[in-house]
Amino acid sequence: MKTTLNTAEVFASTGGREFNASGDVIMFVHGSGQSHLGYMLQGRYFANRGWDVLVPDMPAHGLSGGAPLTSIEDMADWHVALMDQLGVKSAHVVGHSQGGLIALEMARRSGDRVRGLSLVGCALAIPVNDMLLGLARDKEPAAINAMVDWGHGPVGHAHDHTMPGQSHLYYGRQLMEANETGALFADLSACAAYSTGADAAAALSCPAQAILGQRDKMTPLKFGLQMAKAIGDETPTVIPNAGHMLPNEHPVEVNRALRTFFEAQK
Amino acid sequence: MTGDFKFDTLSLHAGHSPDSRHGSRAVPIHQTTSYVFQDSEHAAALFNLEVGGHIYSRISNPTVAVLEQRLCALEGGIGAVATSSGMSALFLTVLALCSQGDHIVSSSQMYGANINLFQHTLSRYGITTTFVAPNDPEAIAEAIQPNTKMVFGEVIGNPGMDVMDVPAVGKIAADAGVPLVIDATFNTPWLMKPLEQGANIVIHSLTKWIGGHGVALGGVVIDGGNFDWGQNDRFPTLTEPHFGFQGVNLYEEFGPAAFITRVRTEGMYNIGPSLSPTNAFHLIQGIETLGLRMERHMTNTQKMLEFLQGHEAISWIKHPSLPDHPDHEVAKRLMPKGAGSIIGCGIKGGRDAGRAFIESVSVASHLANVGDAKTLVIHPGSTTHSHITPEAMQAAGLSDDMIRISVGLEDFDDLKADFTQALKKASKVGEST
Repeated sequence: MKTTLNTAEVFASTGGREFNASGDVIMFVHGSGQSHLGYMLQGRYFANRGWDVLVPDMPAHGLSGGAPLTSIEDMADWHVALMDQLGVKSAHVVGHSQGGLIALEMARRSGDRVRGLSLVGCALAIPVNDMLLGLARDKEPAAINAMVDWGHGPVGHAHDHTMPGQSHLYYGRQLMEANETGALFADLSACAAYSTGADAAAALSCPAQAILGQRDKMTPLKFGLQMAKAIGDETPTVIPNAGHMLPNEHPVEVNRALRTFFEAQK
Repeated sequence: MTGDFKFDTLSLHAGHSPDSRHGSRAVPIHQTTSYVFQDSEHAAALFNLEVGGHIYSRISNPTVAVLEQRLCALEGGIGAVATSSGMSALFLTVLALCSQGDHIVSSSQMYGANINLFQHTLSRYGITTTFVAPNDPEAIAEAIQPNTKMVFGEVIGNPGMDVMDVPAVGKIAADAGVPLVIDATFNTPWLMKPLEQGANIVIHSLTKWIGGHGVALGGVVIDGGNFDWGQNDRFPTLTEPHFGFQGVNLYEEFGPAAFITRVRTEGMYNIGPSLSPTNAFHLIQGIETLGLRMERHMTNTQKMLEFLQGHEAISWIKHPSLPDHPDHEVAKRLMPKGAGSIIGCGIKGGRDAGRAFIESVSVASHLANVGDAKTLVIHPGSTTHSHITPEAMQAAGLSDDMIRISVGLEDFDDLKADFTQALKKASKVGEST
């Protein structure tokens, strides 16, 4: 699906199905330097099971135009504006990594628009070290390589894949390199600057769940568990032997956890 | 496995995690046609490509998938589809990109079956080809038309051993908005990785050096994921609704993997040149020693070149590592570890001397293959091209006196002794004709 928001073209995958804005909408929010393709194994799965799926590319990411957004708050407002544009009154929001911060902030700023929250591979804050920020600013391909390396767990590094014949590591690199230059630096800068995740979690009024990777190097499990406690998830899903790139590396477990949660909200 | 692994480690491990139930260290042979669904929903999810897994071994198979993933890891590809032969890998690539009325720019100096596919088979279905010298980038640029869907060539041409300047041709193709498809059979990823040099899709005949043992046929298409299929309107097979898949737009839903998804969902579904799991297993065994074998291939090739250069029965030698080869500098830049283990040479005395040499070797095998661990020889003038005039052979980059040697891994002293006695017999025939 393509639309125009703030004069820029926006692409949002609907999982290959017609999108009904008044249906049971799930909005997937992508992470730093990612795009809708980071949810390749979630979008069609839920679209083919009766949900109305929306997986937008933020400006300068994937197939969307425009300039990158520079703060988590602006990114949250942009997603709500997209809901307005498409006539979506409320949605269950799934956020991976930086997308989780955005989803938290959407709930804080526009609580009536978020019916439920699923935070995948996330924490209340995602600090970014200066070395990675510097690479993203000055040597983007090196930053991408570092993130692909740190982000993937044992499955990705073994070049194993649930989809026959595919490679997580090289797909991940190409996905990130397809974004506009500068988008990654803007994303990481926004993550580094965001400090109100705990406030957003304390203000939550909708059901929320956490799905975490046991061997996540980018949002380590202990911080993920702190987040789970803060959002009121007493039984977070922890996927054994999983790294940060949960949606693509462990789609079966992630989809099972999401589906159980969505169905409980019906 | 963790970390960023090197070539030899990937050759042994990539693509396979021992299963938790049996813990088999070797890759198991999943000799099955089909797979039990958990329930109807699981079956539907597999057909919709919502979840990973296998349906029917024509489309994918767990053993074959390990081979595909291992080759992705070695070449730097995002996805691969293994096929029953290198030729079927090429055909599925064309099928995914081209339709009636489309056009291909191809190297003129390459494997005869490739030439025949483009010149005679595809033309019957309205896909035309312009053949251009692989080492003439300007001519390649000029041959690209608005309906061109791919530029194709071999890194090291078979049998002429011309070397394509992949980075230069890759830039030309990229500037024209067309992917560069490379047959990398003769170089293998150990000598050079085309995807790192500007190519977009890599094809192999796995039957050759990748397998290395000569016991299993196979091919593969590897997608670099580094070509933007949506940059122009040339590729409707990837950017418009896919008939076989709920009308999904592959470019939008699979992004960098649009091409390889089309290869599997059209090529394997509708044509079905599938690789058998047993052959995949044999090819995986070959890959485990690819680095070791290639090192020895290069050492023995160098020794063979030195031996032939000093031999009185040899009239000429062609190999890209020799300074008098027209593409020597390109070969040195692209393949610093060596330019392959195929040597072309001329036997003094012409066609009869060539035949005498071929019929006199005993360690080397006379057959129509390359890339085996064993040394192989063939004399096109008395076998594959025996019905062709010397003039026609010259046009194909061959000559009446040419011997093609695929240098193997034997102890070189034994190879040298074998070639010495065979060349002696060839010389006697040459003297009497």
